Amino acid sequence: MSQLEAGMVRSGMAAPQAQGKEGSPWTGLWAVVGKEMADHLTSIRMLILELLVVLTAAGTVYAALQTLRSTVGQDRFLFLRLFTTAREPLPAFVGFLGLLVPLIAIALAFDSVNGEFNRRTLSRVLAQPIYRDALLMGKFLASFFTLALVLTVIWLLIIGMGVIGLGLPPGGEEVGRMLWFLVATIFYGGIWLAVALLFSILFRQPATAALGSIAVWLFFTIFWGILAQLLARTLRPIRYGFVEEVLAQARLELALSRISPNTLYTEATIGLLSPSVRSFGIILPEQLQGILLGTPLPLTQSLLLIWPQLTGLIAATLLLFALGYVLFQRQEIRA
Amino acid sequence: MVRRVLAFSAILALLALWTGSPGAVLAQEPAPEGAPQALTVFSRYPSQITELGKSVTYPLEIRTGVPQVVRLSLDGLPEGWEATFRSGSRVLQAVYADPGEKASVDLRIKPPNDADSGTYTFTVVARGDGESSRFPIELIIKDRLPPSLSWEIDLPTLRGTPNSTFRYSATLRNEGDEEVEVSLVADAPPGFLVTFKSVGKDVTSIPVDANGSERLDIEVRPFEQIEAGRYEIRVVAQGGETQAELGLVAEVTGQPDLNITTPDGRLSAQAYVGQETPLKILVQNRGSAPALGVDLSATEPSGWTVEFDPKTIDQLPAGEQQEVEVKIRPADKAVAGDYMLTLRATPEQGSSESVEFRITVLTSTLWGVVGILLIAIAVGVVALAVVQFGRR
Repeated sequence: MSQLEAGMVRSGMAAPQAQGKEGSPWTGLWAVVGKEMADHLTSIRMLILELLVVLTAAGTVYAALQTLRSTVGQDRFLFLRLFTTAREPLPAFVGFLGLLVPLIAIALAFDSVNGEFNRRTLSRVLAQPIYRDALLMGKFLASFFTLALVLTVIWLLIIGMGVIGLGLPPGGEEVGRMLWFLVATIFYGGIWLAVALLFSILFRQPATAALGSIAVWLFFTIFWGILAQLLARTLRPIRYGFVEEVLAQARLELALSRISPNTLYTEATIGLLSPSVRSFGIILPEQLQGILLGTPLPLTQSLLLIWPQLTGLIAATLLLFALGYVLFQRQEIRA
Repeated sequence: MVRRVLAFSAILALLALWTGSPGAVLAQEPAPEGAPQALTVFSRYPSQITELGKSVTYPLEIRTGVPQVVRLSLDGLPEGWEATFRSGSRVLQAVYADPGEKASVDLRIKPPNDADSGTYTFTVVARGDGESSRFPIELIIKDRLPPSLSWEIDLPTLRGTPNSTFRYSATLRNEGDEEVEVSLVADAPPGFLVTFKSVGKDVTSIPVDANGSERLDIEVRPFEQIEAGRYEIRVVAQGGETQAELGLVAEVTGQPDLNITTPDGRLSAQAYVGQETPLKILVQNRGSAPALGVDLSATEPSGWTVEFDPKTIDQLPAGEQQEVEVKIRPADKAVAGDYMLTLRATPEQGSSESVEFRITVLTSTLWGVVGILLIAIAVGVVALAVVQFGRR
């Protein structure tokens, strides 16, 4: 045990009593963010992931462009279709994003804390005059910014391809919708980032943390839909076949499925990129009376429609981070 | 008994007088019994009436006491007239007469086309061997009636709206003895279109048989926006030198023509879910009569309420407009987006007018605030965690 570590132990022991809670907990935050981002952006791992995403983006958008050129004549929201148009055998770009964003996020954060432990660098870092708060927050923000950077670059790449391929600039409302779509995508990644960070705090082995994160992701992607259906059938069984029973079951299933961030993200994407979508809930025939189908909603209305989903994504990111933060603060790190 | 004998002899005397009189006229007493039959020519129909341009046939009979050839001729035939003796298709000048049977010959007289009307007398002369017989015949050429047209109509006055077609059923009668080609002319006030129809076809002239009639449908169609009032239409049928006039009356009743619009002409509006949104509409009367008791109603999606102020416009004179405030309240559970709302103005008389409004339903931003609150709580949780566990 070096002198440095001894000093750290002393300070760690003394901190609650002697130092009290003084100074900002975020001192040195931006230094951590900068260093971590530099690490991320130069790592081979990120390079591979970025290449993967860029290839996917280029492929799907190229395919979408081909389809758009041959089929669509006039559309007010041509640019939005770049993201949502699928061409066999490729799914649409948003479909790929639903898979790739969690992957990038997990890859960015699954070893952020336990990796430091294993390299025995955590104590050294904390020997510097920064709080754990700043370290964890810095790590999270660095991953978050890296993710945002990657996604923004891809987003710009797609718009650029669209401008070249379609030969016209996007309209104001299209830009607004695409921006909000970017925000939703970043926070969807934020959730998985927070999950991976949480697991990297919980488990000492990075492999365990990665597996745990991927397990959670797989659970929500594949099993949660089935489980929501089963739960809805069990909790709200259809005994007599009344409409009310069917409705109650469908509502419960919908509510349960919205626990999954995948559902929230999918709905947010649909609401933003398909302006004619008006509701995600169950629409009764009486609500359809007199309705003009196929007319686009104004952006503010689309935003209001997906606002619960969007705020849910943001709040879930924050709460998961808070959970990880509390766990990290209470952890013994001197081992 | 004596009286009966007297009465009988009186009847006999009368009979003798009656049968004897034509004999006196003919001046050709049949030969007394026993004596040989003298040459006699006569016709059962010695006086005939004909029309101009038509020939007449007199059946002649010739009786004779001795067999002989009888030459026939006609005296007193004016210039230009034609007279032929015929038997079947043969044209004759003489006939062989036998005492046993009578000889029949037809005399055909054809007056010229320009012959005057009046009574013409001719004498048929039959010449045999040393004896002859004369028989006067008479031909009366009747005056031909000139064409004379007249109209007959049961309902000369019709009533209708500016949009309706006034259909008059009239009969055109030709009381003359000649067929006539009648041209039809209508004299209508400006703004009316008059067409004549015969058996469903548009006609401008029509032939009418002598003493015949033709049924005609006279259709009078006002152009749009003709003012209410009484319009007289004169229909003239002209054929040859005669013409007939028919006076028709079209009573055009005024009709309100409603129109719904907004002060700025936009037929779209925005409304928030569950909130009453006022909308100003204009009810206009572009018709020719005042609209009475205009009732305003709406066909709204279920759960919506649409109120009009005023609900009923008592009177809207022609050419005027009135502003009506409509309060639209979309259903509480309405999904955001565009809806069709049909507003309708129905006058007591006349057709109703409806207009479709496009209502963009907006959801309240209240839920947006709730979402922000959710994020604020999450931030609060982080802040709380920092306060509780921070700075380690």
